[in-house]
Order: sequence, then structure tokens, then C-alpha cells
Amino acid sequence: MTALAPLTALIAAVAASVPTVAASPAAVPLSAEYTLPFVGPGTYLIFGIVLAPVYAMVAAWFLGDPSDRFAGLLGVGYLAGLTTVLWGSLFVATLIIGAVFF
Amino acid sequence: MSVDGVDVTGVDRDTLTRPIRSFSTRYIAALAVALGLIGVWLFFYSRQLRHGLIVTNLADWGSGGGVPWGLYIGAFIWWVGIAHGGIILSAAVRLLGMDTYQPVARLAELLTIAALTCAGIFILIHVGRPDRLVTSVLPAWPTRVQWSPLMWDVTVITAYFVLTATYLALTIRYDVTRLRDRLPDRLEPLYSALTVGYTEREDEVVERMVWWIAFAIIIMAPLLLHGGVIPWLFSLLPSMAGWAGGVQGPSFLSIALTSAVAGIIIVAAAFRYAYGWEELIPRAVFQGLAKWLGFFSLIFLWLQLQQVITGIFAAPTTLQHATEVKISTPLYWVAIGLVVLAMLYAFATALRPDLFDLRALVGISVGVLFGTLTEKVLFVVEGLQHAHFALYDGVPGQYVPSAVEISAVLGTIGVVVLFFLVVSKVIPVVELHAIEDHEEVDA
Repeated sequence: MTALAPLTALIAAVAASVPTVAASPAAVPLSAEYTLPFVGPGTYLIFGIVLAPVYAMVAAWFLGDPSDRFAGLLGVGYLAGLTTVLWGSLFVATLIIGAVFF
Repeated sequence: MSVDGVDVTGVDRDTLTRPIRSFSTRYIAALAVALGLIGVWLFFYSRQLRHGLIVTNLADWGSGGGVPWGLYIGAFIWWVGIAHGGIILSAAVRLLGMDTYQPVARLAELLTIAALTCAGIFILIHVGRPDRLVTSVLPAWPTRVQWSPLMWDVTVITAYFVLTATYLALTIRYDVTRLRDRLPDRLEPLYSALTVGYTEREDEVVERMVWWIAFAIIIMAPLLLHGGVIPWLFSLLPSMAGWAGGVQGPSFLSIALTSAVAGIIIVAAAFRYAYGWEELIPRAVFQGLAKWLGFFSLIFLWLQLQQVITGIFAAPTTLQHATEVKISTPLYWVAIGLVVLAMLYAFATALRPDLFDLRALVGISVGVLFGTLTEKVLFVVEGLQHAHFALYDGVPGQYVPSAVEISAVLGTIGVVVLFFLVVSKVIPVVELHAIEDHEEVDA
């Protein structure tokens, strides 16, 4: 038994150093979602990947050749203005619904 | 502009602006039909607003076989799919230089805006009280966009709509400026707003800007919206055997592209017929679109085959059950049959151009739209009904779309018709570029 004592101690030390594997397999993260810092995966997916072509587009409006500051700002104005009109009109409609029916 | 024998540069500007300057009994008849369809829908929708979703067959888990998603969601996906026509044509013209399709490019872009509006209408009416989009969705958006595919969907569809409208707003400046003498004076304030700050020096810059918009949309909308975010609404739910799996992305996209080309064919043929535009939108444009319809139909059918084979040959039990239900549903085969017909017709007329007939192509396109809507509704409904777990086994009834839901589909078709009737009286629905390649810009 005494001959095995160092080996037992080594196993115990290894187990202690990797507690999630040796002591509790359930503690291993089940999904990559917990490995992303700060915000959930949707934020990275939508704003990092899906909308990336839009960022490239807007950058090209100002950086490429030929480009023009007024035309670029007009384009950005359309993007921001149309988004505002779209959701702003729904907001106004909601206020009207609230005032008329509730 | 003489690719594939298409040259419309001989068409004059009066022909181009004919819809704005003419007014006919046919226009009034089309207007009456559109308003009639919208009226029927509003009648039923007012009942839904008054009594709630109980007047549909989507009320809750307790009716219609436990299907809270049905025709409304199927039609939502269908309309977003049809919307892809705009970017297909814009990409073909702007990115690939396929000028053959320039005469129908703006019609397709307008179809995108109209179809996305209809898709939004289906979300609006499906949430019950319409103000929920603002009172529920907006406040939850900052946190839930991190996790919820529903919020991803709202975000990307908003971006798609805004990008397409921006594309149209930028390209219309060139046309309105040069065609101003042929446009109605009573709309002067609108034209002034559309062309604010316009100078000829911007043409080259704007042309490059819209190239980049087409580039951004061609990646974002087909690949990451209809081949991404929308199928993820379903395929990220492993509890529904018929919905799960990566094949849903390409499969959704193939259905979208097929229905999109069918939608363009119908709209372009309608304008060609109504305004005698045989010269402006020549037969060769439709022959080209027919080939696209055939190709996308082939991809559609190939991806359906993938799903059926992997679903019935030694598949997991619940997937096998869902697939068996799918292939034993007669309506599914009606949908597949309509797409097969379109593919065969397109390939036959490609081999034997003398077989081509525009009316037949329009009829087949209507069939494709019916088939793609049917497939999408069946996908949604059967996916819910045949889940991994037996939650719905005790739910009575079977889902059949109610009159309220069917009226909404008709109503949104009326909205699209009305949209085209109104817009065609305000702006040129064919780009000036289509006819002026060989004429002086200010001739």
C-alpha cells in the first residue's frame, strides 16, 4: 500500500486540478453560448455576421472612388430616416390605439 | 443593350411614362378588385380585432389540433420569399451586368417593398393586438436580440426593407430629374423632396453606391435572412422533428427564389399587357426569366428530395414519422407537382423556344406561387403537429385555415396590386437607363 501512496496522491492532485472533468461531468459547458463574453450569441450573430455587409456598404460609400460626402450622407439619412419612419409610425399608431380604445 | 437579343433602346420616353399619363377603365377595374380584396380582409380582420384570435384557427393550444402557427406564418415566409425577386434582378443588372433584365428591375424592386410590407402585415395581425409590436417587441428588443431568433428576424427584415427602399430612393433621383416634364405637376412637392440636392455630378457616385447596396443585400437577404434567420426560427427548435436541421436554410432559400421569379413574371406580364409594353418588356425577358424559374424549381425539388430521403430511410423515429406524414399529405404532392410542371415547362421552352407562350408562363407562375405557399403552410403546421413529444396528442381538431386567415392572404394580394396601381402613377416603374443606353441623357 505504501508503494502506491505516491500514485494515489498524484491521481488526487490531478483530479483536484481539473475538477469539472474528474468530479462532475455535468459541469462541462453544454453549449458554446456561455463562452461568449459580455452579451448573448444573437448579438454577435446579427451585428457581427448578418449585418456585416451593411457595414461594408456604408464604409464603401465614403471611402471608395468615386465617392461624395453629400451622397454618402444622403444614403445614411435614408437608412436612418426610413428606419425611424417605419418604427416611429408604428409607435404613433400605438399611441392612437391607446388613446382611442383604452 | 443587346444581350440575348434584347434591345429596348428604341423605346421613347413617352412609352416609359405611359402608366403615369394614361387612365383607363381597366385601371379602375383593377383598382376596384384590389380595394375589394382589401375590404373583404378588413371585414374579417375587424372581427379578429373585436373578438381576438379565437375567430381564427390559431387561437391557442386548445383548438385546431394545437397549431398556433398556421397560414399567417406560412404566408409571412411566402411574402418574404417573393420579396427576393427585387434583389435577384438588381443583382443581375448591377452586379453581373445582365442588362437584359433592366426593363423589369424596378418592378422587381417595387415588388420587394410591397411583399415585405405584406410580410410585416402578417406579423402585425398574428400578434393579436397590433400595438404589441411596439409595447412588447420594442421594449424587449435590446435584451432579447441576444437570444431570440424572433428578434433577429425583426431586426434583419427591417434592415432588408430599409436597404431596398434606400436603393429605390437613390436610383429614382436620376429618372425623376430627367423625366420631370412628363410627370404630374400636382406631385411637385414629392418630386422636389425625392431629388433634393440633385446634381448630375452625383450620377457616377450614386451608381457606385447602389452597386454596394445590391452587393450588401445579395449577401444579407438571400443567404443570411431567407437562408438564415427565417429558417432559424424553425430549425433551432430541435423539439420539432420536421423543422430541425441545417438543410432548412438552403431549402427555404430555394423556395423563396422560385416564388420570387414567379412573382416578377406575373407583375411584369401584367404591366406589359396593361400598357402595351411589348417593345419595352420584350418576350426575350420572359424567356430568360422562365429559365431562372426552371433552374430554381430544380434546386427546390432537389432539396425536397434530400429531406424526404433522409427522413424516411433509417431516420430517427420522430423525423421518420414527420416525413411520412409529409409525403402522405396529398396537398404536398400538389405543391411539388406545380413546381415540377414549372421546371418541365421552363426546360422544354429552353430547348424548343417555339413552345414558349407568355400566358402559359404566367399561369404556371401563379401555380408556383400557390405551390410554394402550400408547401410553407404545410411545413409550419405539420412541424408543430408532429413534434418529438406528444404534447398535442390530446388536442382536439385538425388545423384548417379559417376564413379570417384566408381573407388576409387575399387582402395582402390586394395590397400589392393597390401598391403597384398607386406607385405606377407617381414614378416611372421602368428605369430610364433601360432605354437610354444609346441616347443622350438629356435628349
